[in-house]
Amino acid sequence: MATRADTVTRPGLLAGFVGRRRKPAFSHVTLVLGLAILLPMIVLGLCYPLLPLPSPTAPSPVEALQPPSLLHPFGTDRIGRDVLARTLAGARVSLLVGLTAAILAVAGGMVIGTLAGFLGRKVDGILMAVTNVFLSFPSLLLAIALVAIFGAGVWQVILAITVADLPRAVRMQRSMVLSLKTRPFMDAARMAAAPTWWLLVRHVVPNTVAPMVVVASMYAATAIVVESALSFLGLGIVPPTPSWGNLIADGRPYLREGWWISTFPGIAIVLVSISLHLLADGLRERFSVAD
Amino acid sequence: MTAYTLRRLAEVVPTVAGITLLTFLIIRLIPGDPAEFIAGDNLSAENLAAVRERLGLDQPITRQLADYVLGVCRLDFGTSLLTNLPVSTLIATALPVTIVLAVSGMVLGTLIAIPLGALAAYQGWRGRKLLDQAMTWCAMVVDQMPSFWLGLIFMLVFVLHLGWFPATGPVSWDDPGALVLRLLPAVLILGVDQVASLSRITRTSVRDVLDEDYIRTARSLGESGLSTLFRQAVRNGLLPVVTAMGLSFGRLLGGTVILESIFALPGLGTLLVNAINGRDYPIVQGVVFIYALLFVLLNLATDITYRRIDPRVRY
Repeated sequence: MATRADTVTRPGLLAGFVGRRRKPAFSHVTLVLGLAILLPMIVLGLCYPLLPLPSPTAPSPVEALQPPSLLHPFGTDRIGRDVLARTLAGARVSLLVGLTAAILAVAGGMVIGTLAGFLGRKVDGILMAVTNVFLSFPSLLLAIALVAIFGAGVWQVILAITVADLPRAVRMQRSMVLSLKTRPFMDAARMAAAPTWWLLVRHVVPNTVAPMVVVASMYAATAIVVESALSFLGLGIVPPTPSWGNLIADGRPYLREGWWISTFPGIAIVLVSISLHLLADGLRERFSVAD
Repeated sequence: MTAYTLRRLAEVVPTVAGITLLTFLIIRLIPGDPAEFIAGDNLSAENLAAVRERLGLDQPITRQLADYVLGVCRLDFGTSLLTNLPVSTLIATALPVTIVLAVSGMVLGTLIAIPLGALAAYQGWRGRKLLDQAMTWCAMVVDQMPSFWLGLIFMLVFVLHLGWFPATGPVSWDDPGALVLRLLPAVLILGVDQVASLSRITRTSVRDVLDEDYIRTARSLGESGLSTLFRQAVRNGLLPVVTAMGLSFGRLLGGTVILESIFALPGLGTLLVNAINGRDYPIVQGVVFIYALLFVLLNLATDITYRRIDPRVRY
């Protein structure tokens, strides 16, 4: 773990995180607003079993299809399960899938993109040819095709979304590495006889971290939407595991009698997706990342 | 121009080859024994052998690949495992629905987004920040709404409660009126989905153009504000919008899958989802291939258009 003093004596390391501090973190409205929506969602998703709520999975047919009331703030579904409890239980799965897939895609993209950008011709040619083929699929379609291969389930969906997002992350990292390669400080390091791995670890990768963190936040938003779309189509996470997508699908046949079953998980998706975009905007300002 | 088009066309060839290979792998990458997975419940030896023979899985892998590539060249993806119909026939009946949806969604989205974005930029430029910011925020919120959720809300309000559109019913090309009513909800949602992202880009781009010197010149020559906006600024600010349209085709095609499913339209997306649920893998391969091909061709068209409207672009 790099301390403040450490980075001061070694400028460049984690540049953008610590080096360019101008304003306190909370002066960025979008950042604060994004976190203010996202963090409670994560906490609620993790801690919902501790709350005094009915079980998200136990049916109680007597209470079927009740509109929102004090007892059931979000109403109940066709077999009397509490929609609030199910939405919170779904938050756990949806956030897990979205955040994990985004982090994996960005991490993988950083590794592959750095290799492609830095190692030059042959490796670059092969990696980019493969990337371009993957990029020629619309990303939701690629995710659907991958789910068709791997099958339904939480980890399969994470894998599918990761692979679907990976090509764009690779491209982005590669283009950053290519432009960093031509910077004077790289020549300076090379003239100081720095070995290749040192150039990568010390000079190239740290300079790409901040923009990729911004990208990760936006990927997390798309990943959550893609996961819910897959689950909505019945291809992603299948019941009994609740996810926002299959909760919305659950309420679909009962739109007329119980609008609340599909509406509330949808609002949750919109809120999280907006908060992740606000977070991305805030981080971009804070790290002074150019678009 | 012709030379550019030809070179750009030549670039498509390896991409299509890659797509062919990837769709070929769809069956072969199923974990475990693909035949066992596809056969489903009936795991008797003869049924497994039949499935293997049907899909050519009993042949050596090179032979399988050669057969598949030859098939793709003739647009022959084999026959459906469930109905025995040729996959190409199924795709040919479903494709027009998807294309009509995608094209009209894109046209509608563009027709709304460009004036909207331009007006927001104009308001911001004239110093009326409030309207500009309100529009930007609205666009952002709408942009984050997943299209399937928007579709369900639309269904709830306009189809179920107000009854403006039929919820079900055949999609037939003989009755244009009924067809329009049937497709319109999906087209509207696809359009709205495009408006959100395109209007933001139009706004940024037009805003930049409005700060150019020639805009001031036009204004000082007495051209009215709105006329300057649409005759000078928007025309010059369209380039990034064309790029953005190219990028949003992926989202558009993804959106058709979901909206076809919600509004029960017999397009490619419905075909694909049903095929995956029925483990009818020849259809899955064919539909995924066609979607990717459409996407590649749309991107090609965008690049060529871009080059047409901006001759400065050199590759």
